[in-house]
Amino acid sequence: MIDSKEASAALADIDDIVQRVKQSQLYELASLAAVWWGIVVFAGNLVTWLWPIYAVYAWVAVDVLGVAGLVALRLLNPPHHPHGAGFDVRLLLVFVLFFAFGYLCTNVLGHFGPRQLGAFWPIYFMLFYALAGLWFGYAFVAIGLGITALTLIGFFTIGEAFPLWMAFVNGGGLIVGGLWMRRI
Amino acid sequence: MAELDDIIHQPLRLKIMAALNALPVSAGLEFSRLKKLTGATDGNLGAHIETLAKAGYVSVDKAFVGKKPQTTVTATAAGRGAFARHVATLQEIIAGKQV
Repeated sequence: MIDSKEASAALADIDDIVQRVKQSQLYELASLAAVWWGIVVFAGNLVTWLWPIYAVYAWVAVDVLGVAGLVALRLLNPPHHPHGAGFDVRLLLVFVLFFAFGYLCTNVLGHFGPRQLGAFWPIYFMLFYALAGLWFGYAFVAIGLGITALTLIGFFTIGEAFPLWMAFVNGGGLIVGGLWMRRI
Repeated sequence: MAELDDIIHQPLRLKIMAALNALPVSAGLEFSRLKKLTGATDGNLGAHIETLAKAGYVSVDKAFVGKKPQTTVTATAAGRGAFARHVATLQEIIAGKQV
């Protein structure tokens, strides 16, 4: 028989591994979402760079496809997944509030041009990513801060090719970040 | 008076069972994921999984995903029960009900 100190150590080991399993599963789900958003954002930026007159339509499509993908991910995710069981309407509300506040900032309080919009939305999105990371894991913080820094570098240094820069920084960054999440 | 489960009590087997038990019933973990979570080597992990499988505490499924072999380990109902009893015994020891 073991003493209470050894028993406490064994229970601490159990708690530690349970936390790691939960973290791993959260990263698995989050990585799918990040890769999906990365793909649609890459496409949106590419359309903005190649055919600027269609940029508005492209970004509406990006937002609709992005949110629809997340909803589908929640619904199609295997039910045994503890983070994926069922659809939570709060997820939809989060996006409604997110886009409403973004619209208020960019179109009502300020009148942002295409370049400012191209920088604002990724930084705004990544702010939530980084904040979520304080609770859910350092990978979110690293991806959020990394994409924000590269967006700002592009905003201040890249000329007309800024949308192309953002296709790789924002779209590519989310795809690479999502794949990285699966490996940690 | 409950006894500690000797099979589960070994540190690496305890980690394996804790990881599998954290999943919903019938969900399993791939060998590579389990290796990363427990920090064990291939040989060590394989040996302890075999011990748990012989005791009927885990089931091991081997399949091919594309051309890559994939081993998935899942806690059985007996394994989950044994793990729950083991944890309850540990808690009793801490509470001073057993010495």
